[in-house]
Amino acid sequence: MWRLLRADRVSKDFQKAEGGIVEVLREVSFQVERGSLFTLLGPTGCGKSTILNIVAGFEQSTSGQILYDDTPITTPGKDRAVIFQDVSNALFPWLNARENVEFGLKIAGLDRADRSQRSEHYLRLVGLSEDHGKFPFELSGGMKQRVQIARALANDPDVLLADEPFAALDAITKKHIQVEFRRIWQETAKTILYITHDIMEALLLGTHLAVMTAGPRAGIKKIFKLDLKEPRSHANPDFVEIYSRVEALIDEEVRRMREQ
Amino acid sequence: MIVWSRARILVSSIGIILLWWLGSHTIFNPKLVPPPIVVAISFWKMIATGEIWVHIGVSLRRVLIGYLLGIVTAVPIGVAMGRSKIVENLLGPPLQFMRNITPLAIIPFAVNAFTVGEASKYFIIWYGSVITIILNTATGVSLTPQIRIRAAQCLGASPRDIFFRIVMPSAWPFILTGLRVALGFCFMGVVAAEMVAAENGIGFLIMQSRNMLLPEQMFIGIFMLGLVGLITDRLFHVSIRRLMRRYMIMIEQD
Amino acid sequence: MDREKALYISISIAIILGTWWLTSGTLFHEAILPSPPQVAERFWEMIITAELLFHLGISLKRILIGGVLGCSLGFIIGTSMGGIKLMRDILEPPFHFFRNIPPVALVPLAITVLGIGETSKVSVIVYITIISMTLNCAAGMMSTPQIRIRAALCLGASPRDIFFRIVLPSAWPYILTGLRVAVGYSFMAVVAAEMIAADKGIGFLIMQSILIIHPREMVIGLVMLGGIGLLGDRIFLMAINRLMRRYMITMKEA
Repeated sequence: MWRLLRADRVSKDFQKAEGGIVEVLREVSFQVERGSLFTLLGPTGCGKSTILNIVAGFEQSTSGQILYDDTPITTPGKDRAVIFQDVSNALFPWLNARENVEFGLKIAGLDRADRSQRSEHYLRLVGLSEDHGKFPFELSGGMKQRVQIARALANDPDVLLADEPFAALDAITKKHIQVEFRRIWQETAKTILYITHDIMEALLLGTHLAVMTAGPRAGIKKIFKLDLKEPRSHANPDFVEIYSRVEALIDEEVRRMREQ
Repeated sequence: MIVWSRARILVSSIGIILLWWLGSHTIFNPKLVPPPIVVAISFWKMIATGEIWVHIGVSLRRVLIGYLLGIVTAVPIGVAMGRSKIVENLLGPPLQFMRNITPLAIIPFAVNAFTVGEASKYFIIWYGSVITIILNTATGVSLTPQIRIRAAQCLGASPRDIFFRIVMPSAWPFILTGLRVALGFCFMGVVAAEMVAAENGIGFLIMQSRNMLLPEQMFIGIFMLGLVGLITDRLFHVSIRRLMRRYMIMIEQD
Repeated sequence: MDREKALYISISIAIILGTWWLTSGTLFHEAILPSPPQVAERFWEMIITAELLFHLGISLKRILIGGVLGCSLGFIIGTSMGGIKLMRDILEPPFHFFRNIPPVALVPLAITVLGIGETSKVSVIVYITIISMTLNCAAGMMSTPQIRIRAALCLGASPRDIFFRIVLPSAWPYILTGLRVAVGYSFMAVVAAEMIAADKGIGFLIMQSILIIHPREMVIGLVMLGGIGLLGDRIFLMAINRLMRRYMITMKEA
């Protein structure tokens, strides 16, 4: 079965504080193949995070469903790990890096030796072997994100859900960690659903790119399959071409949003 | 359909009254802990004769005067302390020391120095409020974000402008918090003062009930104290919200 | 402590001592405000005879027993309130009401019901520490960032895991702050309890002077209260900052 994750006409309404309903998502449908890095691209406020919350099981769809291996998703679980953008609040400040990574393992009942082995492996994978004893407050933003990634991976989820994880980092750190992230994905062969508002990032990382329409009643505008030759950069004319196409679509949506 | 958030107050009140009633009939001596009914009847009588309002009024009057005196004296000192490192170094340590001396402990001195008249009460209440207000004001003034002051300077503000238009507004939330906490101390002070050296007021009411063997009165006094405290605190909270709306700061209910 | 600060503290103390000395005998009668040498003499006497230690010990013992009991109970109730919504809904209103009733007001009731012995005094301390601790712990429990809970859910945590491994550790700063606040209140409550009906303790020492009987003891009692209170608070603060290092929170003095 190549399909792993499927969104089937997912709609989501929210109650407004003053009364009335706002339709955030309208009939969103897409498929994520096993082993792919599926990026969801859209301007801020179009509801991308809402989709992620529904896939993660934090929120319920108003209609339509998310099917994971053909079973509908309703609650959060170990199989779908989220990498949050607000890493300072997502990491547990009273545990050091290693203990954070081992958290899921401890709950699952692994003994100390097993836990150590796994946390060492994943910390090495993200390049933080030296810093395993440090506490979150001693780590930079980029390092904290890497701890979060290691923590999610150590639990061996089937799917990683990344909610604009690097949006809060400075440009230089971001560049490096994006490359790292791609490498980690290739080494672990995980299926990833990746939310972003950054066209460059989506094209750099993804095997697929879904452009969303602007909210309310957001949906999928167009899905691209990214079969790009390396390098994925301005040196590659195919890359530049697809970048322009995506950018044009985004501009269209932004214009539409402004006119509303 | 009663909303749960309102109903739960009713539920817990009924729960407490039930526990009280049980306690009064089983564990405690009903002569010492009268059942709710007896207290309610006595309460009604006191309201009818207007006696309860006199006592509450007296206590409130004392608090008001002492509190206002406190604000007027403490805010300027707090501002000075927040602005000047020297003042902070001079006043800080003694204030930190005095902070641990509750207004109750000042009562003997106040009574000795000012006799049992109103002045001693005002002094105690004043004392209860000053330290808190000074410290909170000083904190607020000293925490004015430097970036905000620099921005104002870039816009041509004089030192005077900066003080009145930047520093004081920035300190305002802190000052209000201090005022709110100080009010609580004032009530504490007035009750204690009235228990020890007064002939009227809520504190006196509570104390007197022992001497006159009227335990119902004690419960009424305690209850009214809680009620008055609750109402004034709520009023404060609401007016803070209103005044702070443009700051978009929610002063947390602690 | 740097030299500049030490200098200012010395100056403060000098000014205070000086003002005290000057006003004693002149502005205030010696029986109301004895002079520093007179107080020092009696102070020394009390140290040698171990009288001071006796009174201090009594008060500290009451604080310890009442504080430990009240804080433990408050911790249990408060954290449970964090986990069980029904408890929270039902208990919150009465706790917020009783918060407005100062411990002084309850001393007569405690004495009526529990007699003049140690129980009544300790119970007043228990009362204020339970309320304060419960409210702080409950607030702490509710302060867990939602994102942290979600992260734990993604890592396979059960509701039980979340309560003990996420919510409780996240509440730890609030709990420690609650403890610090409760300690402060304990000092206040012990004075209140000892003022009304006691024959020993620091509060008694201060209070017995109300009819100008023992003014020197009053001053000594006040100084001891301020000093020990300050010491206790500072020690607590140091301990908290050490424990909170990994949370990157440093508690300041005010």
